[in-house]
Amino acid sequence: VSTRLQAERVVVIDDDHAMRLSCKQILARMGFDVELFDNGANGLDGVARLKPVLVVVDLKMPGIGGMDVVARVHEMDPEAVILVITGYATIDTAVEAMKAGAYDFLPKPFSPDELRVIVNRSLERRSLLREARQLREDQEQLRRRFVTFVSHQLQSPLSAVHQYLDVLKRLSATSASEAQRAEWLERCLTRTDELQELIRDWLTLARVEGGSFVRTSEPVDLRAVIADLPERYGDRAAAQQVTIRVQSPPDPCPVLADRKALDVLVDNLIVNAIKYNRPQGTVVVSLACHGNEIRLAVADTGVGIPESQREFLFNEFFRVQSDATRTLPGTGLGLAICKRIASELGATIEVESREGEGTTFSVALPLVTPGNDAALAGAAVEDRE
Amino acid sequence: MKKVLIIDDDADFAASVSALLQHSGHYVLRARDGTEGVAMAAAEKPDVILCDVMMRERTEGFFTIQTLRRTPGLEDTPILVISSIYETLPFFTAPPERSWLHHDAFLRKPINPDTLLEMVQAAT
Repeated sequence: VSTRLQAERVVVIDDDHAMRLSCKQILARMGFDVELFDNGANGLDGVARLKPVLVVVDLKMPGIGGMDVVARVHEMDPEAVILVITGYATIDTAVEAMKAGAYDFLPKPFSPDELRVIVNRSLERRSLLREARQLREDQEQLRRRFVTFVSHQLQSPLSAVHQYLDVLKRLSATSASEAQRAEWLERCLTRTDELQELIRDWLTLARVEGGSFVRTSEPVDLRAVIADLPERYGDRAAAQQVTIRVQSPPDPCPVLADRKALDVLVDNLIVNAIKYNRPQGTVVVSLACHGNEIRLAVADTGVGIPESQREFLFNEFFRVQSDATRTLPGTGLGLAICKRIASELGATIEVESREGEGTTFSVALPLVTPGNDAALAGAAVEDRE
Repeated sequence: MKKVLIIDDDADFAASVSALLQHSGHYVLRARDGTEGVAMAAAEKPDVILCDVMMRERTEGFFTIQTLRRTPGLEDTPILVISSIYETLPFFTAPPERSWLHHDAFLRKPINPDTLLEMVQAAT
Protein backbone atom coordinates (compact mmCIF):
# COMPACT_ATOMS: atom_id res chain seq x y z
CA VAL A 1 0.00 0.00 0.00
CA SER A 2 1.49 3.29 -1.07
CA THR A 3 1.56 6.50 0.89
CA ARG A 4 2.90 8.53 -2.01
CA LEU A 5 0.90 11.68 -2.61
CA GLN A 6 1.08 11.55 -6.35
CA ALA A 7 1.81 8.45 -8.40
CA GLU A 8 5.46 8.65 -9.43
CA ARG A 9 6.23 7.42 -12.91
CA VAL A 10 8.27 4.34 -13.68
CA VAL A 11 9.42 3.15 -17.08
CA VAL A 12 10.25 -0.52 -17.67
CA ILE A 13 12.29 -1.38 -20.77
CA ASP A 14 12.51 -5.11 -21.43
CA ASP A 15 12.03 -7.25 -24.55
CA ASP A 16 10.62 -10.09 -22.46
CA HIS A 17 6.84 -9.80 -22.35
CA ALA A 18 6.35 -11.85 -19.16
CA MET A 19 9.06 -9.89 -17.34
CA ARG A 20 7.48 -6.54 -18.33
CA LEU A 21 4.12 -7.64 -17.00
CA SER A 22 5.41 -8.97 -13.70
CA CYS A 23 7.45 -5.77 -13.14
CA LYS A 24 4.33 -3.75 -13.88
CA GLN A 25 2.29 -5.74 -11.40
CA ILE A 26 4.81 -5.37 -8.58
CA LEU A 27 5.53 -1.69 -9.20
CA ALA A 28 1.88 -0.73 -9.70
CA ARG A 29 1.10 -2.28 -6.33
CA MET A 30 3.79 -0.09 -4.79
CA GLY A 31 1.80 2.89 -6.04
CA PHE A 32 3.78 3.75 -9.15
CA ASP A 33 2.37 4.76 -12.49
CA VAL A 34 4.09 2.19 -14.76
CA GLU A 35 4.75 2.45 -18.51
CA LEU A 36 6.19 -0.49 -20.47
CA PHE A 37 8.44 -0.51 -23.54
CA ASP A 38 9.72 -3.52 -25.43
CA ASN A 39 12.90 -2.05 -26.91
CA GLY A 40 15.58 0.53 -26.22
CA ALA A 41 14.60 3.09 -28.85
CA ASN A 42 10.96 3.27 -27.76
CA GLY A 43 12.05 3.19 -24.15
CA LEU A 44 14.33 6.22 -24.59
CA ASP A 45 11.51 8.15 -26.27
CA GLY A 46 9.29 7.19 -23.36
CA VAL A 47 11.82 8.38 -20.81
CA ALA A 48 12.21 11.70 -22.62
CA ARG A 49 8.46 12.17 -22.73
CA LEU A 50 7.41 10.81 -19.31
CA LYS A 51 10.34 11.97 -17.15
CA PRO A 52 10.12 8.99 -14.80
CA VAL A 53 11.77 8.86 -11.36
CA LEU A 54 12.74 5.25 -11.95
CA VAL A 55 13.80 3.36 -15.06
CA VAL A 56 14.12 -0.43 -15.05
CA VAL A 57 16.30 -1.64 -17.92
CA ASP A 58 17.01 -5.15 -19.15
CA LEU A 59 20.63 -5.41 -20.25
CA LYS A 60 20.21 -7.95 -23.04
CA MET A 61 17.89 -6.60 -25.70
CA PRO A 62 17.93 -6.58 -29.48
CA GLY A 63 18.49 -3.14 -31.08
CA ILE A 64 19.96 -0.53 -28.73
CA GLY A 65 21.63 -2.52 -25.97
CA GLY A 66 20.73 -2.10 -22.31
CA MET A 67 24.08 -0.59 -21.45
CA ASP A 68 23.59 2.20 -24.03
CA VAL A 69 20.07 2.78 -22.77
CA VAL A 70 21.44 3.20 -19.23
CA ALA A 71 24.04 5.71 -20.40
CA ARG A 72 21.53 7.71 -22.47
CA VAL A 73 18.91 7.81 -19.69
CA HIS A 74 21.57 8.94 -17.24
CA GLU A 75 22.61 11.67 -19.65
CA MET A 76 19.00 12.84 -20.08
CA ASP A 77 18.27 12.96 -16.36
CA PRO A 78 21.16 12.37 -13.96
CA GLU A 79 18.70 12.14 -11.08
CA ALA A 80 16.55 9.36 -12.55
CA VAL A 81 17.10 6.11 -10.68
CA ILE A 82 18.18 3.40 -13.10
CA LEU A 83 17.91 -0.26 -12.12
CA VAL A 84 19.43 -2.91 -14.31
CA ILE A 85 18.01 -6.43 -14.54
CA THR A 86 19.64 -9.23 -16.43
CA GLY A 87 19.87 -12.95 -16.75
CA TYR A 88 23.58 -12.74 -17.51
CA ALA A 89 24.78 -11.35 -14.23
CA THR A 90 28.51 -11.01 -13.86
CA ILE A 91 30.52 -8.66 -11.71
CA ASP A 92 31.95 -7.04 -14.84
CA THR A 93 28.58 -6.18 -16.38
CA ALA A 94 27.37 -4.91 -12.99
CA VAL A 95 30.37 -2.61 -12.66
CA GLU A 96 29.98 -1.42 -16.22
CA ALA A 97 26.29 -0.64 -15.67
CA MET A 98 27.04 1.28 -12.47
CA LYS A 99 29.68 3.29 -14.31
CA ALA A 100 27.15 4.12 -17.01
CA GLY A 101 24.87 5.56 -14.33
CA ALA A 102 22.82 2.66 -12.96
CA TYR A 103 21.92 2.74 -9.26
CA ASP A 104 21.64 -0.95 -8.68
CA PHE A 105 21.62 -4.34 -10.28
CA LEU A 106 19.15 -7.19 -9.99
CA PRO A 107 19.95 -10.66 -11.40
CA LYS A 108 17.10 -12.69 -12.89
CA PRO A 109 15.17 -14.45 -11.61
CA PHE A 110 14.15 -12.24 -8.70
CA SER A 111 11.26 -12.28 -6.28
CA PRO A 112 8.74 -9.43 -5.97
CA ASP A 113 10.22 -8.67 -2.55
CA GLU A 114 13.71 -8.32 -3.99
CA LEU A 115 12.48 -5.81 -6.54
CA ARG A 116 10.51 -3.90 -3.91
CA VAL A 117 13.48 -3.66 -1.55
CA ILE A 118 15.86 -2.54 -4.25
CA VAL A 119 13.42 0.06 -5.63
CA ASN A 120 12.75 1.54 -2.20
CA ARG A 121 16.41 1.61 -1.32
CA SER A 122 17.33 3.34 -4.57
CA LEU A 123 14.61 5.96 -4.30
CA GLU A 124 15.62 6.68 -0.73
CA ARG A 125 19.20 7.17 -1.79
CA ARG A 126 18.06 9.41 -4.62
CA SER A 127 16.16 11.70 -2.29
CA LEU A 128 19.14 11.88 0.07
CA LEU A 129 21.46 12.78 -2.80
CA ARG A 130 18.98 15.34 -4.05
CA GLU A 131 18.66 16.97 -0.67
CA ALA A 132 22.43 17.06 -0.25
CA ARG A 133 22.84 18.61 -3.67
CA GLN A 134 20.28 21.29 -2.95
CA LEU A 135 21.96 22.15 0.33
CA ARG A 136 25.34 22.31 -1.38
CA GLU A 137 23.99 24.64 -4.03
CA ASP A 138 22.43 26.78 -1.36
CA GLN A 139 25.72 27.01 0.55
CA GLU A 140 27.59 27.72 -2.66
CA GLN A 141 25.23 30.54 -3.51
CA LEU A 142 25.64 31.90 -0.01
CA ARG A 143 29.41 31.97 -0.44
CA ARG A 144 29.15 33.73 -3.76
CA ARG A 145 26.79 36.36 -2.48
CA PHE A 146 28.14 36.61 1.03
CA VAL A 147 28.13 40.39 1.31
CA THR A 148 24.57 40.56 0.03
CA PHE A 149 23.50 37.94 2.50
CA VAL A 150 25.16 39.56 5.51
CA SER A 151 23.73 42.93 4.66
CA HIS A 152 20.30 41.35 4.29
CA GLN A 153 20.62 39.74 7.72
CA LEU A 154 21.64 43.06 9.24
CA GLN A 155 19.03 45.11 7.46
CA SER A 156 16.03 42.88 8.07
CA PRO A 157 15.60 43.60 11.79
CA LEU A 158 16.45 47.25 11.25
CA SER A 159 13.85 47.55 8.48
CA ALA A 160 11.22 45.86 10.62
CA VAL A 161 11.85 48.23 13.54
CA HIS A 162 11.89 51.26 11.29
CA GLN A 163 8.63 50.16 9.70
CA TYR A 164 6.96 49.75 13.07
CA LEU A 165 8.12 53.17 14.24
CA ASP A 166 7.04 54.80 11.01
CA VAL A 167 3.58 53.26 11.17
CA LEU A 168 3.32 53.97 14.92
CA LYS A 169 4.11 57.61 14.34
CA ARG A 170 1.45 57.79 11.70
CA LEU A 171 -1.25 55.94 13.58
CA SER A 172 -0.46 57.16 17.08
CA ALA A 173 -3.12 59.84 17.18
CA THR A 174 -5.82 57.66 15.69
CA SER A 175 -6.65 54.02 15.48
CA ALA A 176 -3.77 52.01 16.89
CA SER A 177 -4.90 50.63 20.22
CA GLU A 178 -2.78 50.74 23.35
CA ALA A 179 -2.43 46.96 23.27
CA GLN A 180 -1.27 46.98 19.67
CA ARG A 181 1.19 49.75 20.33
CA ALA A 182 2.62 47.86 23.33
CA GLU A 183 2.93 44.70 21.27
CA TRP A 184 4.75 46.53 18.49
CA LEU A 185 7.16 48.18 20.90
CA GLU A 186 7.88 44.75 22.37
CA ARG A 187 8.60 43.42 18.87
CA CYS A 188 10.90 46.38 18.19
CA LEU A 189 12.89 45.47 21.30
CA THR A 190 13.07 41.82 20.26
CA ARG A 191 14.28 42.74 16.79
CA THR A 192 16.92 45.18 18.07
CA ASP A 193 18.12 42.42 20.46
CA GLU A 194 18.34 40.11 17.45
CA LEU A 195 20.38 42.69 15.57
CA GLN A 196 22.71 43.23 18.51
CA GLU A 197 23.22 39.51 18.89
CA LEU A 198 24.04 39.21 15.20
CA ILE A 199 26.56 42.04 15.34
CA ARG A 200 28.11 40.57 18.49
CA ASP A 201 28.45 37.11 16.93
CA TRP A 202 29.75 38.56 13.69
CA LEU A 203 32.41 40.53 15.55
CA THR A 204 33.38 37.52 17.65
CA LEU A 205 33.79 35.44 14.52
CA ALA A 206 35.86 38.14 12.84
CA ARG A 207 38.07 38.49 15.92
CA VAL A 208 38.59 34.75 16.25
CA GLU A 209 39.51 34.56 12.58
CA GLY A 210 41.79 37.58 12.88
CA GLY A 211 43.61 35.89 15.74
CA SER A 212 42.84 38.52 18.35
CA PHE A 213 40.22 36.59 20.30
CA VAL A 214 42.19 33.72 21.82
CA ARG A 215 44.89 35.71 23.56
CA THR A 216 46.25 33.72 26.47
CA SER A 217 47.23 30.14 27.01
CA GLU A 218 47.19 29.27 30.66
CA PRO A 219 46.36 26.17 32.66
CA VAL A 220 42.63 25.83 33.16
CA ASP A 221 40.85 23.05 35.05
CA LEU A 222 37.87 22.26 32.82
CA ARG A 223 35.90 21.23 35.89
CA ALA A 224 35.87 24.90 36.90
CA VAL A 225 34.60 25.89 33.45
CA ILE A 226 31.54 23.69 33.68
CA ALA A 227 30.85 23.61 37.44
CA ASP A 228 28.52 26.59 37.62
CA LEU A 229 26.71 26.02 34.29
CA PRO A 230 23.47 24.76 35.93
CA GLU A 231 23.35 27.94 37.97
CA ARG A 232 24.38 30.33 35.19
CA TYR A 233 21.97 28.90 32.61
CA GLY A 234 19.30 27.78 35.08
CA ASP A 235 16.78 30.50 34.25
CA ARG A 236 17.15 30.13 30.52
CA ALA A 237 16.81 26.34 30.80
CA ALA A 238 13.82 26.60 33.14
CA ALA A 239 12.05 28.86 30.65
CA GLN A 240 12.27 25.94 28.16
CA GLN A 241 11.50 23.34 30.88
CA VAL A 242 14.96 21.90 30.42
CA THR A 243 17.28 20.62 33.18
CA ILE A 244 21.06 21.03 33.07
CA ARG A 245 23.33 18.44 34.67
CA VAL A 246 27.08 18.44 34.98
CA GLN A 247 29.23 15.31 35.26
CA SER A 248 32.81 15.97 36.36
CA PRO A 249 35.46 13.41 37.23
CA PRO A 250 37.04 13.61 40.74
CA ASP A 251 40.52 14.36 39.31
CA PRO A 252 41.56 17.68 37.75
CA CYS A 253 41.18 18.09 33.98
CA PRO A 254 43.96 20.52 33.13
CA VAL A 255 44.24 22.04 29.66
CA LEU A 256 46.09 25.06 28.31
CA ALA A 257 43.57 27.55 27.05
CA ASP A 258 42.16 31.04 27.08
CA ARG A 259 39.42 30.89 29.72
CA LYS A 260 37.31 33.59 28.07
CA ALA A 261 37.40 31.83 24.70
CA LEU A 262 36.51 28.52 26.37
CA ASP A 263 33.54 30.18 28.05
CA VAL A 264 32.31 31.54 24.70
CA LEU A 265 32.66 28.10 23.13
CA VAL A 266 30.78 26.38 25.95
CA ASP A 267 28.19 29.17 25.99
CA ASN A 268 27.33 28.60 22.34
CA LEU A 269 27.04 24.85 22.79
CA ILE A 270 24.88 25.05 25.90
CA VAL A 271 22.61 27.75 24.50
CA ASN A 272 22.01 25.54 21.45
CA ALA A 273 21.45 22.47 23.62
CA ILE A 274 18.74 24.34 25.54
CA LYS A 275 17.18 25.97 22.50
CA TYR A 276 16.95 22.82 20.36
CA ASN A 277 15.73 20.65 23.23
CA ARG A 278 12.24 19.42 24.02
CA PRO A 279 10.15 20.30 27.07
CA GLN A 280 11.20 18.15 30.05
CA GLY A 281 14.45 17.46 28.22
CA THR A 282 17.93 17.51 29.70
CA VAL A 283 21.32 18.93 28.85
CA VAL A 284 24.26 16.93 30.17
CA VAL A 285 27.69 18.54 30.19
CA SER A 286 30.40 15.99 30.91
CA LEU A 287 34.19 15.64 30.98
CA ALA A 288 36.13 12.49 30.26
CA CYS A 289 39.81 11.73 29.68
CA HIS A 290 40.77 9.66 26.67
CA GLY A 291 44.51 9.13 26.40
CA ASN A 292 46.15 12.49 25.87
CA GLU A 293 42.96 14.44 25.49
CA ILE A 294 39.99 15.59 27.47
CA ARG A 295 36.60 15.41 25.93
CA LEU A 296 34.05 18.01 26.91
CA ALA A 297 30.62 16.86 25.74
CA VAL A 298 27.34 18.75 25.64
CA ALA A 299 24.44 16.38 25.05
CA ASP A 300 20.83 17.37 24.49
CA THR A 301 17.63 15.37 24.15
CA GLY A 302 16.24 17.38 21.26
CA VAL A 303 14.99 16.64 17.76
CA GLY A 304 18.41 15.79 16.36
CA ILE A 305 20.02 16.92 13.13
CA PRO A 306 19.23 15.21 9.81
CA GLU A 307 22.31 13.41 8.53
CA SER A 308 22.31 15.19 5.18
CA GLN A 309 22.65 18.55 6.94
CA ARG A 310 25.47 17.69 9.32
CA GLU A 311 28.33 18.54 6.95
CA PHE A 312 27.12 22.15 6.82
CA LEU A 313 26.59 22.63 10.56
CA PHE A 314 29.76 24.61 11.16
CA ASN A 315 29.33 26.87 8.12
CA GLU A 316 28.55 30.51 8.71
CA PHE A 317 24.84 31.26 8.63
CA PHE A 318 23.86 27.65 8.14
CA ARG A 319 20.77 26.78 10.15
CA VAL A 320 19.20 23.34 10.36
CA GLN A 321 16.17 23.28 8.13
CA SER A 322 13.25 21.49 9.68
CA ASP A 323 9.71 22.34 10.67
CA ALA A 324 10.58 21.87 14.34
CA THR A 325 13.31 24.50 14.30
CA ARG A 326 12.06 26.87 11.63
CA THR A 327 10.71 29.50 13.99
CA LEU A 328 13.54 29.44 16.54
CA PRO A 329 15.61 32.60 16.58
CA GLY A 330 19.35 32.46 15.98
CA THR A 331 22.15 34.08 14.04
CA GLY A 332 23.48 30.93 12.39
CA LEU A 333 26.97 31.89 13.56
CA GLY A 334 27.27 30.07 16.92
CA LEU A 335 28.75 26.82 15.67
CA ALA A 336 31.02 28.61 13.19
CA ILE A 337 32.41 30.49 16.20
CA CYS A 338 32.80 27.23 18.16
CA LYS A 339 34.68 25.59 15.32
CA ARG A 340 37.09 28.52 14.94
CA ILE A 341 37.71 28.81 18.69
CA ALA A 342 38.31 25.06 18.96
CA SER A 343 40.82 25.25 16.16
CA GLU A 344 42.62 28.19 17.83
CA LEU A 345 42.79 26.15 21.04
CA GLY A 346 44.30 23.17 19.25
CA ALA A 347 41.08 21.27 19.87
CA THR A 348 38.66 19.46 17.60
CA ILE A 349 34.89 19.57 17.67
CA GLU A 350 32.57 16.79 16.59
CA VAL A 351 28.89 16.13 16.43
CA GLU A 352 26.87 12.99 16.92
CA SER A 353 23.15 13.02 16.43
CA ARG A 354 20.15 10.74 16.30
CA GLU A 355 16.97 12.15 14.87
CA GLY A 356 14.27 12.24 17.50
CA GLU A 357 16.70 11.41 20.30
CA GLY A 358 19.24 14.16 20.59
CA THR A 359 22.57 15.64 19.65
CA THR A 360 25.96 15.62 21.33
CA PHE A 361 28.72 18.07 20.55
CA SER A 362 32.12 17.09 21.90
CA VAL A 363 35.26 19.15 22.05
CA ALA A 364 38.53 17.25 22.43
CA LEU A 365 41.29 19.34 24.04
CA PRO A 366 44.90 18.26 24.58
CA LEU A 367 45.44 17.26 28.20
CA VAL A 368 48.28 18.91 30.10
CA THR A 369 50.70 16.17 31.11
CA PRO A 370 54.51 16.22 31.28
CA GLY A 371 54.44 13.91 28.23
CA ASN A 372 52.73 16.17 25.73
CA ASP A 373 54.20 19.59 26.44
CA ALA A 374 55.42 19.69 22.85
CA ALA A 375 51.91 19.26 21.52
CA LEU A 376 50.79 22.04 23.80
CA ALA A 377 53.50 24.37 22.59
CA GLY A 378 52.07 23.94 19.12
CA ALA A 379 48.68 25.03 20.32
CA ALA A 380 49.97 27.92 22.38
CA VAL A 381 49.35 31.41 21.15
CA GLU A 382 51.79 33.70 22.96
CA ASP A 383 53.98 34.07 19.89
CA ARG A 384 51.15 35.79 18.08
CA GLU A 385 51.13 38.79 20.37
CA MET B 1 -10.54 50.05 -1.14
CA LYS B 2 -8.05 47.53 -2.54
CA LYS B 3 -7.50 43.90 -1.72
CA VAL B 4 -3.77 43.65 -0.97
CA LEU B 5 -1.73 40.46 -0.57
CA ILE B 6 1.54 40.71 1.37
CA ILE B 7 4.00 37.84 0.79
CA ASP B 8 6.80 38.16 3.32
CA ASP B 9 8.41 35.81 5.83
CA ASP B 10 9.17 38.69 8.17
CA ALA B 11 6.06 38.70 10.35
CA ASP B 12 6.94 42.07 11.86
CA PHE B 13 7.25 43.77 8.53
CA ALA B 14 3.95 42.26 7.38
CA ALA B 15 2.22 43.23 10.63
CA SER B 16 3.18 46.90 10.47
CA VAL B 17 2.50 47.30 6.76
CA SER B 18 -0.84 45.55 6.97
CA ALA B 19 -1.89 47.78 9.88
CA LEU B 20 -0.99 50.80 7.81
CA LEU B 21 -2.98 49.57 4.82
CA GLN B 22 -5.96 48.53 6.93
CA HIS B 23 -5.97 51.90 8.59
CA SER B 24 -6.32 53.47 5.16
CA GLY B 25 -9.31 51.28 4.42
CA HIS B 26 -7.68 48.45 2.45
CA TYR B 27 -8.34 44.77 2.91
CA VAL B 28 -5.12 42.85 3.62
CA LEU B 29 -4.15 39.19 3.23
CA ARG B 30 -0.84 37.81 4.48
CA ALA B 31 1.25 34.86 3.31
CA ARG B 32 4.42 33.69 5.05
CA ASP B 33 6.20 32.21 2.04
CA GLY B 34 6.02 31.93 -1.73
CA THR B 35 4.03 28.71 -1.85
CA GLU B 36 1.36 30.07 0.45
CA GLY B 37 1.42 33.36 -1.43
CA VAL B 38 0.79 31.80 -4.84
CA ALA B 39 -2.07 29.69 -3.46
CA MET B 40 -3.66 32.71 -1.77
CA ALA B 41 -3.25 34.89 -4.83
CA ALA B 42 -4.85 32.26 -7.06
CA ALA B 43 -7.79 31.83 -4.69
CA GLU B 44 -8.33 35.44 -3.65
CA LYS B 45 -7.35 37.38 -6.79
CA PRO B 46 -5.97 40.42 -4.97
CA ASP B 47 -5.86 43.85 -6.61
CA VAL B 48 -2.18 44.25 -5.80
CA ILE B 49 0.59 42.02 -4.44
CA LEU B 50 3.54 43.06 -2.27
CA CYS B 51 6.26 40.41 -2.54
CA ASP B 52 9.53 40.14 -0.64
CA VAL B 53 12.60 38.76 -2.44
CA MET B 54 14.87 37.13 0.13
CA MET B 55 12.65 34.72 1.98
CA ARG B 56 13.42 31.40 3.57
CA GLU B 57 14.99 29.84 0.50
CA ARG B 58 16.79 33.10 -0.20
CA THR B 59 15.84 33.23 -3.87
CA GLU B 60 12.27 32.21 -3.20
CA GLY B 61 10.86 35.60 -4.15
CA PHE B 62 12.14 35.35 -7.73
CA PHE B 63 10.36 32.06 -8.29
CA THR B 64 7.27 33.32 -6.54
CA ILE B 65 6.99 36.30 -8.86
CA GLN B 66 7.53 34.16 -11.95
CA THR B 67 4.93 31.66 -10.74
CA LEU B 68 2.44 34.43 -10.01
CA ARG B 69 2.88 35.76 -13.53
CA ARG B 70 2.21 32.34 -15.01
CA THR B 71 -0.91 31.76 -12.93
CA PRO B 72 -4.16 32.27 -14.88
CA GLY B 73 -5.90 35.41 -13.74
CA LEU B 74 -2.76 36.93 -12.21
CA GLU B 75 -0.89 37.80 -15.41
CA ASP B 76 -1.66 41.48 -15.02
CA THR B 77 -2.00 41.86 -11.26
CA PRO B 78 0.34 44.64 -10.15
CA ILE B 79 3.30 43.22 -8.21
CA LEU B 80 5.30 45.55 -5.99
CA VAL B 81 8.62 43.98 -5.12
CA ILE B 82 9.91 44.85 -1.65
CA SER B 83 13.39 44.13 -0.39
CA SER B 84 16.26 45.58 1.57
CA ILE B 85 18.94 44.41 -0.85
CA TYR B 86 18.37 46.18 -4.13
CA GLU B 87 21.88 47.57 -4.56
CA THR B 88 23.13 44.20 -5.73
CA LEU B 89 20.14 43.37 -7.86
CA PRO B 90 20.34 45.74 -10.82
CA PHE B 91 17.46 44.15 -12.68
CA PHE B 92 15.11 45.38 -9.99
CA THR B 93 16.09 48.97 -10.47
CA ALA B 94 15.90 48.71 -14.23
CA PRO B 95 12.62 50.09 -15.56
CA PRO B 96 10.09 47.31 -14.83
CA GLU B 97 9.04 46.99 -18.48
CA ARG B 98 12.59 45.88 -19.27
CA SER B 99 12.94 43.53 -16.31
CA TRP B 100 12.50 39.82 -16.90
CA LEU B 101 10.55 39.62 -13.67
CA HIS B 102 7.72 41.74 -15.06
CA HIS B 103 7.14 43.33 -11.71
CA ASP B 104 5.50 46.71 -11.59
CA ALA B 105 7.64 48.57 -9.11
CA PHE B 106 10.43 48.12 -6.65
CA LEU B 107 10.23 49.41 -3.08
CA ARG B 108 13.10 49.34 -0.68
CA LYS B 109 12.55 48.32 2.93
CA PRO B 110 11.69 50.12 5.09
CA ILE B 111 8.94 51.49 2.88
CA ASN B 112 7.86 55.08 3.15
CA PRO B 113 4.18 54.86 4.24
CA ASP B 114 3.06 57.66 1.92
CA THR B 115 4.76 56.11 -1.10
CA LEU B 116 3.25 52.73 -0.35
CA LEU B 117 -0.27 54.10 0.11
CA GLU B 118 0.01 56.09 -3.10
CA MET B 119 1.22 53.07 -5.07
CA VAL B 120 -1.45 50.77 -3.69
CA GLN B 121 -4.09 53.39 -4.40
CA ALA B 122 -2.82 53.87 -7.95
CA ALA B 123 -2.44 50.16 -8.72
CA THR B 124 -4.87 48.92 -11.33
